[in-house]
Amino acid sequence: MRAPAISIKGRAFGDRVLLALVILLSIVMLAPVLWVIGLSLKENAELMANPNSVFQAPYTLKNYINTIGTSSVFIWVFNSIIVSGGLTLGTLILSSLAGYGFARLNFPGRNILFVVVLFGLAVPEQAVLVARHQIFSLLNFHNTYHGLILPGLSASFGVFLMTQYFKAIPKELDEAAMLDNASRFRIFWKVLLPLTVPAQATLGIFTFLGAWNDYLWPLISATKKDMYTLTVGMASTQTNFAQSEGIGFLMAQAVFAGAPILIVYLFFQKYIVTAVSGAAVR
Amino acid sequence: MKMKKVLFAAVSAGVMMLAGPSLAATELTVQRFFGACDADFGKNTDVGKAVGECGIITSLINKFNADNPDVHVSVATVEWPGYDQLTAQFASGDAPDIVTIHESALSDYQSKGLLMPLDDLLKSVGVTSDAFTDAARNGATKDGKIYGLPIDSWTMLYHINMDLFKQAGLVNADGTPILPKSPEELLAQAEQFKQKTGKPYFVQNLANETALFTRNLYTYLFQQDSDFFADPKHVKLNTPEAKKVVEMYKAIFDKGYTTKDLDYGGAINAFLAGEGGVQLNGTWVVGDNNAQSETKGTALNKGGYAVYPYPQLFAGAHAQYADGHTWAVSQKDRTPEQTAAIGKFLKFFADNDFDWSRTGHLPAYKAIITSDAFKALPHRNTIAAVADLGRPLPSAVQRQFAIQDIVGEEMSAAITGQKDVDAALADMESRVNELLANI
Amino acid sequence: MADRLTMPQTAMPAASVRAPSVDIYAPQWRNFMFVAPFLFFFTTLLVVPLLWGMWLSFHKADTFSSGNFVGFGNYIRLFHDKVFLQSVWNTFYFVLLTVPALALIGLFLALCLNRRTRTAAVLRTLFFSSSVLSVTIVTLIWRIVFIPNVGLLSTIYGWFGATAPAFISDPSLAMIGIAIATVWWCIGLPMMLFLSALQQIPQDIYEAAALDNASRWQTLRSITLPSIKRTFILVVIVQIVLQFQLFGQAWLMTRGGPNNLTKPIVLYIYDTAFRRWDLGMGAAASEVLFILILIAAMAQYLVTRNNADRT
Repeated sequence: MRAPAISIKGRAFGDRVLLALVILLSIVMLAPVLWVIGLSLKENAELMANPNSVFQAPYTLKNYINTIGTSSVFIWVFNSIIVSGGLTLGTLILSSLAGYGFARLNFPGRNILFVVVLFGLAVPEQAVLVARHQIFSLLNFHNTYHGLILPGLSASFGVFLMTQYFKAIPKELDEAAMLDNASRFRIFWKVLLPLTVPAQATLGIFTFLGAWNDYLWPLISATKKDMYTLTVGMASTQTNFAQSEGIGFLMAQAVFAGAPILIVYLFFQKYIVTAVSGAAVR
Repeated sequence: MKMKKVLFAAVSAGVMMLAGPSLAATELTVQRFFGACDADFGKNTDVGKAVGECGIITSLINKFNADNPDVHVSVATVEWPGYDQLTAQFASGDAPDIVTIHESALSDYQSKGLLMPLDDLLKSVGVTSDAFTDAARNGATKDGKIYGLPIDSWTMLYHINMDLFKQAGLVNADGTPILPKSPEELLAQAEQFKQKTGKPYFVQNLANETALFTRNLYTYLFQQDSDFFADPKHVKLNTPEAKKVVEMYKAIFDKGYTTKDLDYGGAINAFLAGEGGVQLNGTWVVGDNNAQSETKGTALNKGGYAVYPYPQLFAGAHAQYADGHTWAVSQKDRTPEQTAAIGKFLKFFADNDFDWSRTGHLPAYKAIITSDAFKALPHRNTIAAVADLGRPLPSAVQRQFAIQDIVGEEMSAAITGQKDVDAALADMESRVNELLANI
Repeated sequence: MADRLTMPQTAMPAASVRAPSVDIYAPQWRNFMFVAPFLFFFTTLLVVPLLWGMWLSFHKADTFSSGNFVGFGNYIRLFHDKVFLQSVWNTFYFVLLTVPALALIGLFLALCLNRRTRTAAVLRTLFFSSSVLSVTIVTLIWRIVFIPNVGLLSTIYGWFGATAPAFISDPSLAMIGIAIATVWWCIGLPMMLFLSALQQIPQDIYEAAALDNASRWQTLRSITLPSIKRTFILVVIVQIVLQFQLFGQAWLMTRGGPNNLTKPIVLYIYDTAFRRWDLGMGAAASEVLFILILIAAMAQYLVTRNNADRT
């Protein structure tokens, strides 16, 4: 991340006020998470008696051991990886092909079709929820991986993004090959696709995060415990604190559920930030 | 990345091994609420050791699996009451074999032909409906057939912290708690309690709650002989009787005789921590509360725990709202082995209903409710009366859980002062009727 | 490949930019094959359900049987339903609470953290990190902050002998509680968008301003803010569209209560279709949501198009 060094005189005091504000906000960001981690390290009975006991020893790993032993959180993470990964892969393939088609090639009805696809951007998932659920029921798609992946493939955003990106690539690059009568797919594959890697990264990251965090569709489609995604699984355990294994256990489970994506984020931070910024400029 | 894949493959393989035993066993899927407690009871097959709804049901199913190597039951635990999910499952043709359904919700699914009538199957394993208590039989029977194996009858109760009652001077000479006999007495005693102990009389879970409000309303409408569901397709709730009940609970709220912002779990914890005199909760926490009262150092251990039916506050019928849990079986094509396995499972629960009644629920079988073993359980002498007091809504009333939400929402709005009492009752009535008119 | 790429410039320098040869850009059916796979999914999974939903919304249908044509009956019932009207208002109220907060706090953070120090980098990471968590974890975290007893807030208030406000159950606070959790969750994206916009501003403008001895406030007002105006509008519209689709936070934190005061439109749809089995009315509510989002999306399109024309 490149930052311009703004140098203006007399900024010391103002800077401190701003810094204080930013630090305050970071405490707001961090405190809830630290609280969750704190609770996860305590015995349940002790917490019930006195929540302030979070600040005193003894701490225990019992909740984590119980989570590893009995929680389904690992299956849910696994399901989420399959669903998010599958959807990301599918979206990248479909969007790249269609983006190239719309940006570079001509075929009957192209412009009208593109407008229809753009119109798809304005259809929220929730508006087709009821009907989609019925259709998937008829097809027996519920409680399957493809039942969770397929709806996301209809999103227009990726096609829109890739079309814009292909259009931005100078035509000279592939025109020669076209005149040479090289196969269109070959041009797409060999000449243009390698140039779209940044856009693929942006689209891939957005798609993956979107799928990872989706809640509504898995909630009504994955109704069997071993098909739950992480979001649904976590929701199934949290509503009734009293009827589950206790707050400490739930918190340990939450830490297990949140950790993988946070670690991925920290590793790929640089790319994610570039991807997000890239989307902004466009 | 590769490492990760290997890891997940290993984890999932491990999970499969735990979940799927020998291929020869007949697989049954069971879906239930009552919570998850695998950390404490996941492997326990000694039912006698288990406490509480979750512990006992988990241990019972473990024991069933251990006793019947030819059948394997896999359990999915859903959030209470689980009907959103069950409906979606039925809609997608993916319903579990056996599922917990309240007697009050049976007719919703039964009327759509989604449940299997159990008469023949139960007969084949030697369970007949004349073994059920009257309440259980009535609750599980729809259109003359049995659609769920009843496992209990439940109702709401006054769970009492005797230590605080003593401090408040609300104890008779014989050591029993003094309970009110009219709305006025209730408010007076609550005031006295607050003065003496500095704590609220009631511990209620009022935060985004609907069920508790609704059950309270139904109970005190019964006690005033208000026949609000004379027509099962049309409710009458904008009545002076309903207004009396709502205003009573509003006074309790306004004068601070109750805890206010607790959710269900919070209310349980608050009562166990001694933060109020009476917890309004169901039969299902009797076992847990009693266990607490026998543990040294707890708030309930100090002065004891007592539990009673809702006091009779009005001059009408002696009654209070009741319901029951059943095991229902989804309508599906099954092999004879699968059907037989289901029969075994149901018979097992019929045979072991005593263990389930240790939760605090009333047993669904005459032989158990009259048995000495049941009577010897703690507090059953004070709550056995609910077997006769318990009254459900007329069984022809559909969508009782949706109605419960509406009634509870409006009642909550009236009690917390969001809405005028009359306006809330008018909205309550019209919303329920709109729902019923459009089924 | 390299020699091929340079060829058009030498062979037909004029044509390469404006007028491609008729030959290669003529409409051809085989070109359709590139868009066909996407269009297949688009049609079957979006267009068909959309039309099916419209059809459903004119029928009285429940989850297990589809019924009769009722014309606009479902829509009439919908607009007589106080709970639906409440849910529409709730959705707007939620947007009103979150979008300005997200835009302003996001802008503030971007302005403060737009520098090359290590601290700024760490803080940027921190503020964006919550965005990758899923909604169920976010709500779990915030319920644990808000609930009485072991809640963080009640513990902190407890130190001062006070009672914490009931952000989950108090009628006037519940939506604010959900909004706080949402802002916490979503603040990363606006911040990042603003940061990248700030970096597009040419350095020399700032240098000129510094030479003119412009105060920091003047620089901000007359250089920085005008330069990112377009991003600001973009952030606001994107957030409006996103926050309009509120579901998970409300469902998991309050179930829409107390008395439907935090029930957004999407939760109303879920409730009607999947909990009350009234598919027709649920579909009708879906169509209303669709139209509302369509309006917001159109606004976005117009704004971005106009701005694109200007630059």
